[in-house]
Amino acid sequence: MSEHWAAENLRVIRTLMERSALYRRALAPVMTFAGAIGIIAALVGVFLRVESEPKFISYWCGVALVGLAGAFVLVRRQALKSAEAFWSPPTRRVATALLPCLTAGLLVGIWFLVICAQSPTADPPTGMAEDRGLMIVLSSIWAVFYGCALHAAGFFTSRGLRWLAWIFIIGGFGLLFWVTVAHQQDHPDARWQTGHWFMGLWFGCLQLAYGIYLYFTEKRETAP
Amino acid sequence: MNPEPFLQLDRVIHEKGRLAIMSLLAATPELSFTELRDTLGMTDGNVTSHIRTLQEAGYVVVAKSYPNRRPLTTCALTAAGRKAFADYITLLEQIVQQTRKP
Repeated sequence: MSEHWAAENLRVIRTLMERSALYRRALAPVMTFAGAIGIIAALVGVFLRVESEPKFISYWCGVALVGLAGAFVLVRRQALKSAEAFWSPPTRRVATALLPCLTAGLLVGIWFLVICAQSPTADPPTGMAEDRGLMIVLSSIWAVFYGCALHAAGFFTSRGLRWLAWIFIIGGFGLLFWVTVAHQQDHPDARWQTGHWFMGLWFGCLQLAYGIYLYFTEKRETAP
Repeated sequence: MNPEPFLQLDRVIHEKGRLAIMSLLAATPELSFTELRDTLGMTDGNVTSHIRTLQEAGYVVVAKSYPNRRPLTTCALTAAGRKAFADYITLLEQIVQQTRKP
């Protein structure tokens, strides 16, 4: 017996305790589903001409609800399939980590809804750049909050999730800066569709890409 | 070197497989049998055998339930198990500190 042996045992114990606290449900199906929902919702939003801000906010809050419900079903199915408890301590930790930022995102949406109700814009829009800028600003803020939520959850899941979170945060702030500062003088042609395209980009393409990436890497990472 | 800590190490926990199970259970209120098996890459028989030994020592409690008509076996540490595990860690730390002393 030596110091090396005891220290090695302590290291193994620490690793195992950390692993025990990690969320082990496969994220690939959840991310792919969320991404697909995001892309489809963006296309449907443009197709159905969801043009005004209040409609835009309500529509995307509804999409988020569908996404959350779908993710819930997928995770529950995984738990049932592997004969494990659904509402396990790691699941509780991930949910608790996600909740504050997702709630903040919802509250910002409601706040924007109230602002729109106080100063209603034309529906269908008149084509003025200012009218549609709010949609893009909101999509950026949502992306930032969602990134923060993913980053918080990332402490209890695979590390890759935190990278995706940073893409959301930096991308969201980048767009926010571009819309509110860099391009403010130029009166950009911010049409109503642009808000949907950005939502599709953030919550569709990014998540779908990450889901596909996980399909190829997740099994390897979680293999004992 | 003082051999006392070595002699005090709990033989039930000291075995590699059981130590791994105790470590996993120590970090969470409970874990299902399949989670334990999959995380440690052990066979069903191995996990069952270790759990039984830990149960007999009074360190682990096993509960069976049927959520959605499917059997679910969960394991958790008892108060005695938590104390034994904490004592084991303390002894390991003592050993490391002892050997580091000049």
